[in-house]
Amino acid sequence: MFQYWNPYLLVAIFVVLGVFLPVSSIWVIGPILRPNKPSAAKQTTYESGVDPIGDAHVRYNARYYLFALLFVVFDVETLFLYPWAASFHKLGLFALVEMLIFLFMLVIGLVYAWRKKVLEWN
Amino acid sequence: MSISWPLVIFYVIALLTLCCAVLMLSFRKVIYMALTIGGVFVGCAAVYFLLGADFVGVAQILIYAGAITILIMFAIMLTNHEAAEPPLSWNLKNVASAVGCVLLAVVLLLAVRSTNWPGGGATTDINGGNTNPIVIGLMLFKQYTIPFELVSVLLIVALVGAVILAQDRKEDE
Repeated sequence: MFQYWNPYLLVAIFVVLGVFLPVSSIWVIGPILRPNKPSAAKQTTYESGVDPIGDAHVRYNARYYLFALLFVVFDVETLFLYPWAASFHKLGLFALVEMLIFLFMLVIGLVYAWRKKVLEWN
Repeated sequence: MSISWPLVIFYVIALLTLCCAVLMLSFRKVIYMALTIGGVFVGCAAVYFLLGADFVGVAQILIYAGAITILIMFAIMLTNHEAAEPPLSWNLKNVASAVGCVLLAVVLLLAVRSTNWPGGGATTDINGGNTNPIVIGLMLFKQYTIPFELVSVLLIVALVGAVILAQDRKEDE
């Protein structure tokens, strides 16, 4: 049982440190060390040194959604490639054909998106 | 007194996941809801790791906590997200959906408890000596070939649908 738990114990320690370090430095150690002299200019939203224009809650272009969806599609594809690659030695040629069909279907989608000019940014 | 550590860790993960879920339901701004649903996805991934399903856990983090949460965020950013939801009111529709959810939970619980799961508990290795991704790969490409190919059809439908929707939107502008 210890053998099984050992790697995840490291993950747990990593998660605890990952939460503890930023929280302690932002809310505990930071306020003790840093000087606190707020002014109106310092309290504004940081926008690369320029005065911010409008509200941060603007509506984004629908294009962003398309890029996110393309990312999801190819993320899922990559996920299926991993067990395929891991078990390829035991599967042989048939699995190669299967994966080529799978990839071909997705390439059709990519070509379609390309032809519809949704990948162009202007 | 011996403490069953996997059980303790399961309860800690379950508590954190349920906290995220309850927070998601109680927040009135959609962007906070999207953030907490990311927490729920990570909690589910932790349960998968606890069950020894490493690959499914990684997939859960990669697809759901990573990609799907980002997709939800983008979907929120496209729409009117300044508006906060009005506080919950107990009208007939909400009561009916609450009763429906409780009934669904009871049915699922009964189904899970009455199913005779293969493997016989934690003592047998469901992976049969191989690593988790190899077993999944063998199952996927030998036994479940057609469902696997249908996944590509599903993905292409989602892609083409999004392209068509975005094209319509562009013509409107």
